Amino acid sequence: MDDFTLGLLTNIGLFSFLALSAYLLLLAGEMSFGQQAFFGVGAYAGGVLTALYGVPLPLAALAAMGLGALAAFLVGLPTLRLKGLYFAMATLAAAEIARLLFELLHFQRDIDGELAGPDGTQGFRGIRWIFEHGIEALDFLLLTYGLLALVLAALLLAERSRLGATLRSVGEDPELAAALGVDVDRFKLGVAATAGALAALGGVLFAHHNTFIEPRNFDIMLGVHSLAYALIGGLGTALGPLLGVALDLGLLEGSRIFGGTRMIVFGGLVALLLAVRPRGLLDEKLVHRIASRALQR
Amino acid sequence: MLLDLLQNTIDGIAAGASYALLAVGFTLIFGVLRRVNLSYGPAIMFGCYAATWLHLNFQSGLMVLGLAAVAGAVLAGAYVERLCFAPHRAGSAIAAMVASFALWMQFEELATLVLPRHVYPFPTLHEGPPLEFFGLTLRIDAIAVLGAAALICALLHGLLHRTRFGLAVRATIENPVAASLAGIDPARVFVLVFALASAIGGIAGFLIVATHGQVTPMLGMWSTLKGLLAMMLGGLGSLPGAIVGGLALGLIEAHSQWFLGPQLRDLVAYLLLFALLAANPAWMTRWTTSRSAS
Repeated sequence: MDDFTLGLLTNIGLFSFLALSAYLLLLAGEMSFGQQAFFGVGAYAGGVLTALYGVPLPLAALAAMGLGALAAFLVGLPTLRLKGLYFAMATLAAAEIARLLFELLHFQRDIDGELAGPDGTQGFRGIRWIFEHGIEALDFLLLTYGLLALVLAALLLAERSRLGATLRSVGEDPELAAALGVDVDRFKLGVAATAGALAALGGVLFAHHNTFIEPRNFDIMLGVHSLAYALIGGLGTALGPLLGVALDLGLLEGSRIFGGTRMIVFGGLVALLLAVRPRGLLDEKLVHRIASRALQR
Repeated sequence: MLLDLLQNTIDGIAAGASYALLAVGFTLIFGVLRRVNLSYGPAIMFGCYAATWLHLNFQSGLMVLGLAAVAGAVLAGAYVERLCFAPHRAGSAIAAMVASFALWMQFEELATLVLPRHVYPFPTLHEGPPLEFFGLTLRIDAIAVLGAAALICALLHGLLHRTRFGLAVRATIENPVAASLAGIDPARVFVLVFALASAIGGIAGFLIVATHGQVTPMLGMWSTLKGLLAMMLGGLGSLPGAIVGGLALGLIEAHSQWFLGPQLRDLVAYLLLFALLAANPAWMTRWTTSRSAS
C-alpha cells in the first residue's frame, strides 16, 4: 500500500471512534454538538504524556480515555437533563470552551534541547512516540483497526444484550424506560462517559498519527461531521457510523473525479439520502430485515 | 474608566444590533418549524457573495448590493427549505439538521469556487470620520445598522400582529394542529416564514459585511454561531428574547474584550451560555414546557 492509502485508511479508522461516540449518544436520545471536545482532550492528554513525560503509548491512551470519560461525565452532569436543542447547545458551548482553553494552553518543556508541548494557537508539535519506537505506518493502521474491532465487538455484543435494549428504550421513550425501573439519568451519564472515553481514544490515535495537533482541529465542524457520520451510516447498528466515515473520507478523499466540486456533490447526496432514509443507510428496519433473513438460513 | 465603559457599551450595542437580526431570523424558523437550520448562516453568506461578485464585476451601488444580498439569501433559503426541511416536516429533527449541515458544505465550496481568494473587499456604508461627542466616538454606519435593525423589528412586529398572515404564523407557532384545523395551511406558513427569515438574514448579512468592509468564507459559520448563541441567550423561541439576546451578546463581547482581551472574549460568551443552560432557569425553558424543543 502507498502512503496515501495507508493514511486514508488510518484516518477512517480513527475518526470512526468519534463517530461511534456520537452514535452512542444518539441511541440514548441525545444529540451532542460537542464530542470533538473529548477527541481533543484525548489528543492533548495523550500527546503530553508520551511526548513530554515519555509515558508508553498504551498507558497514555488509558489515561487519556479516563480523562475523556471524566470530562464527558462532568459536562453531562448538569446538561443531560436538558432536552433536544438545549442539550445540543450546552454541549456546543462546552466544546467551544474546551477549544478556546486549548488556545490558551501553553505548557512547554525542554526535551532533548528542543521546546516541546502545547503552544497555544501555534499548536502542539512533535508527538513522535510511534516513530521513536519504530512503529511503521502499516503497524499503526493494524493497531487502529485492532482497537476498533475490539470496541465494535463490545458494542455489537452489548446491542444484542439487555444493555442494548435498555439503551434504545431510554432513547425512544425515557418515561417508559423510567417506569420499567431504569434510572434514566444515571444510565445516560454512563453512556456519555463511555462516549467520552471512545472519543478520547480516537483523539490519542489522531495525535500520534498526525504528530501535530492544533486547537482548530477540534472545532464545531468536526463535531457536526461526527453526528453526520453516525446519521448517514445509519442508526441501526454500530457498523453504521463506520460506513458513514468510510463513505465521507473514502469516497471524497479517495476519488478525485469531482475535483473542486466534491463537497457540492457530496453535500447534495447526503441531503437527498436523508430525505429518503432519515435514519441513515443501515437503519433499524434494514438491519432487522438482514438479521432475520440471516436467521432463516 | 467611566468613559471606556460607556464606549464599550456603545460598541456592544452596535455589534449586538446585527446579532439581534441574525437571532430574529433563527427564531422565526425555529418557532414555526421546531428545527435548527445550520445552513442559515451559509445561506446568508451565499447572498453576500452574490453581492460581492456584483461589486467586483459591475461596481454596483450599495442599494443594488443590498438587494442582491437579500435575493441571494432568499434563493439559498428556498433551496435549503425544499431539500432539508420539506422532507422532514413530520419526521426526524436530527435528520433535517444534518441535511442542512450537508448543504452548508455546498455553500462554502460554491463560495470559494466563485471567489477563491480568502478575503474580498466590500464597500462600507459610510466612509467619513465617526461622530465624536464628550470624548466618545460613534461610527455613522453603526447608527445605520441600529436604525435598520429597529425598523425591521418594528415592521416584523406589525406584520405578525396586524395582518392575517401574521395571525397564521402566530397560530402555527402556538399550536400547529389547532392552526391547521382552523384552515391555516401549515406548509404555506413554513415556506413563507422561511423566506421571511432568509430575507431578514440577508439584510443582517449585508449590514455586517458593509460594516466590516470585507467578506470571507468564514461568514457562514460565523453567522450561524452568533445567531444560535444570541437566540439561546435570549431564551429560545421568542422574538423579543432574540433581540435582547443579540444585544446582550454584543455587550458581553465588547466588555469582555476590553477587560479580558480578545482571546477571552468568545470564552466568556460560551461560559455564560453553558452556565445559564446548566442552571436551567425557568425563563430559558418556558418554551419547552408547553411543547418539546426537539
